[in-house]
Amino acid sequence: MELPKANPDIVAHRRDIIAALRTLVPDGVVGEEAELAAFDGDALTAYRQKPLACVLPRSKDEVSAVLAFSAAHNIPIVPRGAGTSLSGGALPRGDGILLSLTRMNRILEVDLENRCVVAEPGVTNLAITQAVEAHGFYYAPDPSSQIACTIGGNIAENSGGLHCLKYGLTTNNLLGVEIALVGGERLVLGGKVPGADGLDILGVVAGSEGLLGVVVEATVRMLPKPPATRTLLAAFRKVPDAGQCVADIIAAGIVPAAMEFMDKRCIEAVEAHCAPGYPLEAEGVLIIDADGVPAEVDHQIARIGEIARRNFATVREATSEAERARLWAGRKAAFPAMGRLAPDMLCMDGTIPRRMLPQVLTRMSEMAEEYRLGFCNVFHAGDGNLHPLIIFDMMKGDELARAEAFGAAILKLCVEVGGVLTGEHGVGLEKRELMPTMFNEADLAQQQRLKCAFDADGLLNPGKVFPTLSACVEEGHMHVKGGRLPFANLPRF
Amino acid sequence: MKRISAITEADIVEAVHNARAKRTAFEIVSAGSKRGYGRPLSCENLLDVGSLRGIVAYQPEELIITVLSGTPVDELDMALAEKGQRLGFDPPDLGPLFGAKPAIGTIAGAVSTNASGPARVRYGAVRDQLLGFRAVNGLGEAFKAGGKVVKNVTGFDIPKLVCGAFGTLCVLTELTLRVFPKPSRDQTFVIRDMEPREGFALLRKVWANPLDATGLGYYANSIVLRVEGEEEPLAEKVRILKRLCGRHILEGADSETFRTIGDAGAFLSSDEDVWRLSIPPSQAAGVLDRIRASLWVADCAGAVLWLASNNHVLVRDVAKAVGGHATLVKADAARRASLGVFAAEDEVRAQLTRSVKAAFDPLRLFNPGRMWDGV
Repeated sequence: MELPKANPDIVAHRRDIIAALRTLVPDGVVGEEAELAAFDGDALTAYRQKPLACVLPRSKDEVSAVLAFSAAHNIPIVPRGAGTSLSGGALPRGDGILLSLTRMNRILEVDLENRCVVAEPGVTNLAITQAVEAHGFYYAPDPSSQIACTIGGNIAENSGGLHCLKYGLTTNNLLGVEIALVGGERLVLGGKVPGADGLDILGVVAGSEGLLGVVVEATVRMLPKPPATRTLLAAFRKVPDAGQCVADIIAAGIVPAAMEFMDKRCIEAVEAHCAPGYPLEAEGVLIIDADGVPAEVDHQIARIGEIARRNFATVREATSEAERARLWAGRKAAFPAMGRLAPDMLCMDGTIPRRMLPQVLTRMSEMAEEYRLGFCNVFHAGDGNLHPLIIFDMMKGDELARAEAFGAAILKLCVEVGGVLTGEHGVGLEKRELMPTMFNEADLAQQQRLKCAFDADGLLNPGKVFPTLSACVEEGHMHVKGGRLPFANLPRF
Repeated sequence: MKRISAITEADIVEAVHNARAKRTAFEIVSAGSKRGYGRPLSCENLLDVGSLRGIVAYQPEELIITVLSGTPVDELDMALAEKGQRLGFDPPDLGPLFGAKPAIGTIAGAVSTNASGPARVRYGAVRDQLLGFRAVNGLGEAFKAGGKVVKNVTGFDIPKLVCGAFGTLCVLTELTLRVFPKPSRDQTFVIRDMEPREGFALLRKVWANPLDATGLGYYANSIVLRVEGEEEPLAEKVRILKRLCGRHILEGADSETFRTIGDAGAFLSSDEDVWRLSIPPSQAAGVLDRIRASLWVADCAGAVLWLASNNHVLVRDVAKAVGGHATLVKADAARRASLGVFAAEDEVRAQLTRSVKAAFDPLRLFNPGRMWDGV
C-alpha cells in the first residue's frame, strides 16, 4: 500500500509552520526530526511516516487556533489520541500537522445522578471506569487497548470491545461531544440528555475517523456494574458445532455479556504463551460470560451450558474469580501469543453473519495455504466480528505484500457472505482501497458529499477511509475556498 | 397536490428525476399517520411510499431484520413476536396524537421521527438500532449506507443521521434493524401519589440499579416501573425493586400504562401545544416547577418530559437552561410554522445543518422546511 504523497509546497515551509504553531501552543510543539520519530505511526505497525510537526494542545481554544491556522494555509491535520489504531487512522502525513490530544486528559465532571462523565478527549478509556467504579458504575465499551486508548480516539473510531452485543459500541454509550470544526469553530452536540435537537450530527461524528471534526470534550454514559458474572468454557471437536451453539444461544433469547471463539491454532499459541488451561484437543473454544442480577445469571448459565452440551461441547465453569481471570487472560493474550510466533502481525476485523462462520473458517484455511502464511482466528462470536491474526516477517521477501493480500482476500470474503469490512477497527488507511468491494460508486459519493459538508477542502485526516477523495462539487460548481490556491498566502509569515 | 405512488425503488428514482427537472418538491408519506409532526409543508407533490411493504429478510439468530420502509410497525412487531423477539426501541404509536387511526404507522415513519418508547431507557432509541438502509437521494441516485450485521464501522454512520431527519435527506426504501429477544414475562408497578421531587429521586435510584428496568415513568401522580425477565430472574428483580422502594407500596399495574406514556396518550385531547423535552434526569422536578404545565407525563427516569403549554418562550428557555431541548410535537400548523418545531440553531450549527441537507438533497426536493426553513 502506498502512503499519501506529501505536498512539497507545504514541506518546503516546514520551519515557518513550526514557528507559527509555537506562537499558538507555546509549550506544545514537537518539531525536531528525532523527536518526531516518537509520533511516526500507530498500531498499524507496518507503516511509518513522520509528521510535518506534532502539536499537543492543552485546551479547546488551542485546538481551535491550530485548526484555524491549518485551514487558513491549507495544511492537512491528522488528529491523534493514544495512537493505538489498528487501521492506520492516526498515521501521520509528511505534509500534515499531527494534532495529539493526549495532554487534554482531565475528567471534567462525574455526574452519577445523571449517570454520565464529562471528559477531555485525551482521558483513557480505562480512566473513565476508574473514576466511577468505587460508586458501582463503569463505562461499557472496552476495546482491548483500553489501558492506553483515549475516549477521543474511541469516539473517532466508534470503538467496540468484548461486550458490544449486549452493551453497544462507543456510539451507543455517547451522550454528547463538543467538536472543533475544520476552521476551528466549535459546536456542542448532545449533552446529558437523550436524543438530538434536530439532525443527529453526533451520530455521524462518532466513527467518522477524524474526517469530520476534532472531539474536544465528551459526555459518556455510565452503567451500573452488574452484581454477578459467571464464565463458561465450552470446548468443541468440530467448529460448526461451535457455530451452531452460538446460534442456539441467541435463538434461546439469551444475549451473553461476552461470547468469544478461538480456533485450534490460537488455543495452541495461547497455551504455549500463558497456559490458561484450554483443552488442546479442541478444534475451537467458546468463552462465555453472563452478567446481571444473580438469578438471571444463574438462569442464563444453566441454559447456555445445556445448549453447549447439546452441541457436543465439553463444558467447564470457572469456579473462582482467579479461574475466571485466567480463562479471560488467555483470550486477551491472543495477540502477544501469536506475536511470539513471528515478528509481524496483521489483525483483520471483518464482521460476518454468524451463520456463515463454518464456511468462512474453512475458506480462510484454504486461503492461508494459497498465501503460504500462518494465521489464527479469534472471533467476537456474539456479534460475528472476526479477528483473523496473520503472522509474517516483513524482512522476508514479499511476506508483507502476501499478508496484505491475504487480509484483503479475507475481508472481501466477509463482504461476499453478507458482512462488512470492519466491525470495530475502522477503515483508516488499511482498508480504504477495499471500500469499493462493499460500497458502489453512488454509496461512496454520498459519503464523500457528507464529508464535503464538514470539510470542503479535505484537510481533516486526508488519505483515510476513502480510496480517492474527490473534489467537493456543489450542485453545478466546484468548491473553491475564497478563490485561493493551496498555500498561496504562506509567505506572509 | 399531485400524488405519486411508488411501488419500487425505481419508481422513486424516476419521480426524483422528474422533480429535479421541474424543480418541484415532494412531501414524502407512507401511512401518513404523523403528517402533523414537523413544520407544515406546502409541496406540489405527494410521494407515497406506503406500497414498499414487507419483510425482505429475517434471521432471528442474527438479531437483525430487513424490511421495506412502508412496512407497518405492527406487522413487524407481530413477525418478531412469533420468534420471541421485538424491536428494542419500543415503538410508540404517535399517530392518534395527530388524529390518525391507531396502529397504522410504518417503520419509515418511526425511523424518520426517531420515535422511541419507554424501553429506550434500557435498549436505546431507533438511532441505536438502525444498522443500515437503502434510499434515493436528491440527485435521484439509489444508494445504501451502513450494513446488515450488528457490528459495523465501515464508512460514515449515515443510518444515525436519517433517524429523526423527518425525511428531509432522502427517501428511505429498505431498512435493516437490530432486534432483541423478548423475555417471556414482564411486570408493571405503580406507586401512587408521589410528590415530583421524591418521585423522580426514586426513579433515578431504580435507574442506577443493575436490575435493568425497561420502564421508568411518571403518570397521573404515580411513578410507574417495569421489569422483565424469565420466571426466577423476574422474581428476583421484583424483590430488588421492592427493597429499593423502601416504605412505598408497589401496586401491580396494567402494562398498557407504558403504552399510554410512550404514545403521549394523555395529550390526545389537549388544546394546548404538546411538547417533548429532553433534559438531564436530575433536572426533571426543577423544570416542572418552573414551567408549571397543566398536564405532564415523564418517561426514561425523567430524561423525557411530555407537557402541555402555550408558553413556548418559557418551555424552550427552561429546557435550554438545564442543557436540554424542547420539541414542539403537536400544535396547529400556524404555530408550528412560526415557533418552529425545533429551537432555532446558532449560526455555526445552522450552516452545518444546511450543508448536510445539501449533501443529500441539494435542490431541497424532500419535505423542504419540515425541520427548519429550507431544511
